Amino acid sequence: MLKIKNLHAQVGDTKILNGLDLEVGPGEVHAIMGPNGSGKSTLASVLSGREDYEVTDGSVDFDGVDLLDMDASDRAREGLFLAFQYPVEIPGVSNMNFMKAAINGKRAHAGLDPIKGNDFLQKVKECASLVELDGRLRDRSVNEGFSGGEKKRNEIFQMAMLEPKLAVLDETDSGLDIDALRVVSQGVNAMRNSDRSFMVITHYQRLLDHIVPDFVHVLSEGKIVKSGGKELALELEEKGYDWI
Amino acid sequence: MTGSKESFISNFQAPSNSHELRSQGHQYMADLPVPTRKSERWKYSPISKLVNSSLMTCSGEGVVWPEEILPNPIPFLDSYRIVFRNGSYVASLSDLPIDDDVVCAPLGDVEARFENEYHKSEWIGAINASYHQNGLFLKVGKNKALDRPIVVHHLTDGENIASFPRHFIKLEEGAKAEVVVWSSATDKSSGMCNGILEAHIAPNAYLVIDKVCNEGGEIFKFSYEHICQERDSKMKINTFTVKGHWVRNELEIVAQGPGTDSVFNGTYMPSGKEHVDNHTTMDHAYPNGTSSELYRGIMYDNSTGVFNGKVFVRKDSQQTNAFQQNSNIVASKGATINAKPELEIYADDVKCSHGCTVGQFDTEALFYLKSRGIGIDEAKALLVQAYVGDVIAAVDREEVKNEVMRLYSERHRWA
Repeated sequence: MLKIKNLHAQVGDTKILNGLDLEVGPGEVHAIMGPNGSGKSTLASVLSGREDYEVTDGSVDFDGVDLLDMDASDRAREGLFLAFQYPVEIPGVSNMNFMKAAINGKRAHAGLDPIKGNDFLQKVKECASLVELDGRLRDRSVNEGFSGGEKKRNEIFQMAMLEPKLAVLDETDSGLDIDALRVVSQGVNAMRNSDRSFMVITHYQRLLDHIVPDFVHVLSEGKIVKSGGKELALELEEKGYDWI
Repeated sequence: MTGSKESFISNFQAPSNSHELRSQGHQYMADLPVPTRKSERWKYSPISKLVNSSLMTCSGEGVVWPEEILPNPIPFLDSYRIVFRNGSYVASLSDLPIDDDVVCAPLGDVEARFENEYHKSEWIGAINASYHQNGLFLKVGKNKALDRPIVVHHLTDGENIASFPRHFIKLEEGAKAEVVVWSSATDKSSGMCNGILEAHIAPNAYLVIDKVCNEGGEIFKFSYEHICQERDSKMKINTFTVKGHWVRNELEIVAQGPGTDSVFNGTYMPSGKEHVDNHTTMDHAYPNGTSSELYRGIMYDNSTGVFNGKVFVRKDSQQTNAFQQNSNIVASKGATINAKPELEIYADDVKCSHGCTVGQFDTEALFYLKSRGIGIDEAKALLVQAYVGDVIAAVDREEVKNEVMRLYSERHRWA
């Protein structure tokens, strides 16, 4: 699904990723952990195509296509999804128009006609119930005036609507209370299947109690320094990152 | 420049009415200078190219309305209509209200007493005073609410045309009226359209004006609105510049009594080499007045723009609440906007806020939209629609709102 080889990336003159290697197979859930400043969010940004980041070396193969060769829109259309750590408020653009444009962008890329009105509404209904996003939030402007938890639920709602091949969740647990964490995790777990992969970026182990990973990787100074099973997360929780 | 001043007006002809105003106009036209870049009010809107051109007024007789322009520019709006072509009244396309409490007629048929003194300070105003042609005369009687909006449609059609519309509106105490001031021009047209609108709103009356400029061709378009508001009256004016080669909207609102409420909003999205200038003045001279102003623009290509918003809060106008916001997105490297808020506040117990911004598209919002598979052009279109849509949403009439949105979307190819 995703093959990252020797990835180097920087912002301005600051090198952040220093030869990162990672393979994610179909249906797998990989947790990326690491101390602050280790490059976790940079990895998410580079994968999703944020323009401030410059890739200086390495390659990323995404299901047979060169991910780094595409702009952010095309990456999403090819099936990559980034759940933002800080979802953006866009006043005046309704959540529904936003999702319709997104789905139709993806459909056009695949050579399909725009989604029919009824099918769209049906899909909205299903996906919204998955993360308990009520009608009021659906009809408002994108993230405008949403609480932290509502914004994260909206991210997972969008993920469900877009049915990505690979979802990157960037610190999705930050700013969530325990109820919101449960709802968001339930949404993610309901989306898990044998084809869809997840990369769960988190600082804390608690999210991984809810979204149980197949693999855990520790990132430090822009490289993966340790990999293991889900028990690695527990060990990190207990001993801290200094132990690595 | 002074040499061309006389030759510029040499082919203008005036109707024979309204002697006093015209002779005043001629006097000031001779005395006032042609505005140049040296004058602060015209610094970013030079008109030398216009003054060096040779234009003519039209008699308006024996003309055929062009097929490409609908006489009723808002097809779904149930409205009255008064139509002008190159400054002259077109009776066959007009549909005026008939009501005992309403006088609605072409200005040329009635005696209107204008009070604004624009012609005494601006050469452009003096030309209009001298050569003004026809326009709307509307008087709505006490406590009468006009049952339908009136669409005032002015068309410029032809090359090197000079036209001088002049409109007069008076709402008596407690009256209410909605007026749509629409201007259009055929693609082959050029010249100048120089219009003045004066409105008097008596106590507790309410006037709504939606002003839309949707002109093809290469017209220098000047419009000056002078609005006097008496005690506890309300007014709302929306100024939408949809399309126009060179457009200057000048709006002056004068509170002439306490408790007035004034709302004035506008949008502009020039592209190519278009020029749009919005000059507004809100004069609070009495207590307890409120005003709210919101102008938003997006500058494309090599377009140029001006926003100048003056707010006066004079000494005795305590408890005034004045809000002004002007935001601009410069979407291309070649585009320019000169934005200047000017607040002069002489009363101490008032609430005034203002903001003025010039920026680019919100890159975070663009990235968020792109990260969901929305292409860059569509992402920008969504942001633009939201940005100006917010201002257009304040229009009362759905039909007007929809038509303005439709025209903008057609021009800027929103989905």
